[in-house]
Amino acid sequence: MFSEVAPKRITLSEWSRQFRKVPDEVIKKFNYYQNSDWGRYLSPPATFFVYGARELKELKFDNSFSSLRLWGFVFNESERLFRAKQTGRKVIATMGDLGIIPVIVMAFPEAIPFYPECFWWVPFYNKSNVLLTRASELGIPEATCFSKAILAAFSKRAYFPVPDLIIAATGASCDDYSCLMQLLEDIGYNPLWVEIPLRRQGSEERVAGYLIEEYQKIWQKMVEITGRNLQKEELKKSIRKANYLRSLVKELKETVSQAKIAPLPALEMMVIEFGNLYGYGDFAEWIKIVEGILQTVKERVAKGIGVLREDAIPIAWVTPSADPILLNLIEDFGCRVLTTEYLINQALVPISENLDPFLALAQAFLNASLIGTTKERIRRIKEEVEKGRIKGVLITNVLGASHCALETKLMEEELQAVPVLAIDVPSPGGITEQLKTRLEAFIETIK
Amino acid sequence: MGLIGYTCSYIPVELLSATGFLPYRLIHGTISFSEKGEEVVKVDACPLVKANLGYLLENEKRFVGVVGATGCDLARRQLEVITHFTSLPVHILNNPRTDNPKIFNDEIEELVKFLEKLGQKKLTPELVAREIERWENFREGLRVMDQQRKAKPSLFSTSDFHKLCISYHKGNPPANFPSSTSSPSTNPRVYLLGSPISYEANPFLQLLEKDLQIVGDFNCGISRPLLIKIREKNLTGIKEAYYHQPPCIFKRPNKKFYEWVSMELKERHCQGIVAWTLDYCDNYEFELSRMEKTFGLPLLRIRSDFSFSHISQWQLRIAAFAESIKENIYV
Ligand code: SF4
Ligand code: SF4
Repeated sequence: MFSEVAPKRITLSEWSRQFRKVPDEVIKKFNYYQNSDWGRYLSPPATFFVYGARELKELKFDNSFSSLRLWGFVFNESERLFRAKQTGRKVIATMGDLGIIPVIVMAFPEAIPFYPECFWWVPFYNKSNVLLTRASELGIPEATCFSKAILAAFSKRAYFPVPDLIIAATGASCDDYSCLMQLLEDIGYNPLWVEIPLRRQGSEERVAGYLIEEYQKIWQKMVEITGRNLQKEELKKSIRKANYLRSLVKELKETVSQAKIAPLPALEMMVIEFGNLYGYGDFAEWIKIVEGILQTVKERVAKGIGVLREDAIPIAWVTPSADPILLNLIEDFGCRVLTTEYLINQALVPISENLDPFLALAQAFLNASLIGTTKERIRRIKEEVEKGRIKGVLITNVLGASHCALETKLMEEELQAVPVLAIDVPSPGGITEQLKTRLEAFIETIK
Repeated sequence: MGLIGYTCSYIPVELLSATGFLPYRLIHGTISFSEKGEEVVKVDACPLVKANLGYLLENEKRFVGVVGATGCDLARRQLEVITHFTSLPVHILNNPRTDNPKIFNDEIEELVKFLEKLGQKKLTPELVAREIERWENFREGLRVMDQQRKAKPSLFSTSDFHKLCISYHKGNPPANFPSSTSSPSTNPRVYLLGSPISYEANPFLQLLEKDLQIVGDFNCGISRPLLIKIREKNLTGIKEAYYHQPPCIFKRPNKKFYEWVSMELKERHCQGIVAWTLDYCDNYEFELSRMEKTFGLPLLRIRSDFSFSHISQWQLRIAAFAESIKENIYV
């Protein structure tokens, strides 16, 4: 569908015009939880603007049909979670580990994992301070990472249903988030705490041992909650599914980054990378969506066409952009995001299928971005810089975020061979001319 | 004598000193050190981390190594910054956040290996027992003084107590503990908690005690060592005592921290709480509202970046707070 139109990034109204070409039968074809009665999710992005996502009016989206599917599915997540609950599924909040615990949860057929932290994008998409203000009312200090929106979302009980279980991973990781999870107890929730150990050279085996115990604890809790005493084989199946998605995304990332002309915008690519965490709560459907995207990308590459200019400057992006519009902006200014470090390395590596499944999961987690040193975290970016593939690095900090405060200067030290720009992402709707000028100046230096 | 820098009350000082080097707690807090630290981290790192980094950068030659812990995210990451910007050997003790003594015990074993290498000597059971004895005596001395501080009326000020604690943190036991006490204070009795109290924070304690009497605290820099009592004079005893100290607020869940402080507030007949937090110290800042609710006592919040630029404002707020809590006694 839309194969006749040239790839480009289009606005909300352009999408609405283009959407009229989608026949009803096609709309009916795409459903979540395989339910054709109420599971439809294909709609023009303008629908979500009407629901309150005001930033969509300023964003540009990829104009392929596969991307349309992606946006419909991603924005439908809240509705999907409420439906899950209504239909008797167990909704499990997996917080803080970013990529491994959902694989355990998904082994239980009726359980739906989700990451409340991904709701930190809501204030930006909605261009609204409602959640941030509520977080302040709950006692969170002003200069705190935007993840504080999540505590507010829990307290408002309107963004996702009350989870049947909250798994809270804490330890050698981000502090702001650990503090938020602690406050959940204060507003009536009771998380199951899971220890994230520190990664150090030489102690990997010991650390994996600790993780295995934690994962077994989660498994037991899931057995209790679902009443299903599953065999480990089910966990292996879940691992295979996760691996299939991971391999698709790996292929997609490689194809996109090696293409002469960028075949997909940075914004959609970020959404896809994060999909590895938990498939936005319907793994089977998300896999099909990514397959569709990969096909689109391959077709574009084969035709030598894409969404940016051929001479777009390749840069690396470090730490996910709290405000999605920054990804758009940098492309408007003539850059191309060639490689990324979004703090979720553990969700991108293959999980061994030949080991005991708990050990395999623990070993995969040992690749986590936040549990080791900054040096390790940006090793891949540094390699790309050394190969000459990357001309500059953009770091999006969040003011008050514990790791950003200490990592940024270390990164600048490590990446001295190219210009590095570190910016603090302003609060929703707060991108100023001054910030744009800084971005432009950074790009000028690279040129 | 060469110094071993350390950063946290979960790091056994007995093991550090068994190397023959002097354990020196990194707990500095002045604007000038903090500004120096900003050369290597962003402005929104907490001032304690910045000041410690600044101090180390200026005094690197005095140190032989640094042992840090994964207390909070910033505290852990400062160790990587030290590794990068100095040539000191650095060891990290992974202090578990959840109730996991196995991890802690393994970490102590790892620490011993690091220290033996650093000090080029074996930490024999005899040596360890001797060091435990030495530090236990010191802590016992502090506990006695703490009883005077706790008495009703309080017989020893926290600003004087802080000076004794400084000698503990710098590894130098005083020749004698003061036998006579400061004059009894009838100021309203308060409990101090929050971010660490630095070496240089004594004027702030004095300022508080003009109108209030701090009869107890839960702060690194002041009372934390008192809470560690080693019964068995060997490595197992060290592990037990250090693991089972009243837990820091960053432990998950942090219910036991609340239980401990609630008990202290009652036992010490406190009329109010002073919560001292440093900029960007999330572990305490996030919990202030909860503390107010849970402890049921008036709470004075004081936030600092180590500068004394707000001193006249503080003076007014402290005086007003003292006035407002005079009649309020926790029973
Ligand atoms: S507050 Fe707790 S974690 Fe932090 S330094 Fe003190 S003892 Fe260690
Ligand atoms: S606990 Fe607070 S004061 Fe201590 S290092 Fe962490 S942020 Fe700084």
